Amino acid sequence: MTALAHKPLRLDVRREGGAAVVKVSGSVSISDANRLREQLEALAGEKVPVIVLELSEMDFISSLGLGAIISGHLKCRHHRGQIKLVNPTAAVRELLETTRLTKLFGVYGSVEQAVRQA
Amino acid sequence: MRQKKIIPTDMQAARQLAEDLLQEVEAKGYSESMQFAIRLALEEALSNAIKHGNRYDPDKSITVEAEIKDDHTAITVADEGEGFDPAAVPDPTADENLEKPSGRGIMLMRAYMDTVQFSKRGNQVSLVKNRC
Repeated sequence: MTALAHKPLRLDVRREGGAAVVKVSGSVSISDANRLREQLEALAGEKVPVIVLELSEMDFISSLGLGAIISGHLKCRHHRGQIKLVNPTAAVRELLETTRLTKLFGVYGSVEQAVRQA
Repeated sequence: MRQKKIIPTDMQAARQLAEDLLQEVEAKGYSESMQFAIRLALEEALSNAIKHGNRYDPDKSITVEAEIKDDHTAITVADEGEGFDPAAVPDPTADENLEKPSGRGIMLMRAYMDTVQFSKRGNQVSLVKNRC
């Protein structure tokens, strides 16, 4: 098994305070990006004020997956909601910096920190 | 050995192809960061071919040629679309484009690979990652 391939995408949603925490595990490959988009847009549709993406176990994402997060962000903005990112791996953090999406999304060290600074 | 694969215009087929090639890259002992870079560039090229090249047309196919060697990996992805001018794609890192959900693929291929070359028509991209 490769280090990156064959790790199916898993999305686990829980509530902490007023926030929705989505733990993203595995790879957001080109065939999985729509699942992430649908999940985020559904939460945004519930007008959740803060969506926290817990990324410590997400080992891969491409621009389609990043686009899914941005789509959720745009939908959240309708009700002044926010998407926050927690604990991306070094490779994903580098990708966020390369795309300058760290300017669009706050990146936090823990879920508690992200929720507290909502 | 250079291998040639033809897949349908389909995200699942593209994902499977990417996984198959990545298994070979890992078997050659490439580092995890190099595997990440090759997978990212390959998925960007494949998704561009599906979305912008073949425009999801199931009657069209995508041709991928790959050479995975000890010292480098070279991959070419060709679609049956009309092609495009890569120079005309806006900079996705500009402040005014940060909230656009798409348009990052070419920038990422260039950021993560050592060589990225488009054919004159723009419907084929060649990617090279040198092992370091």
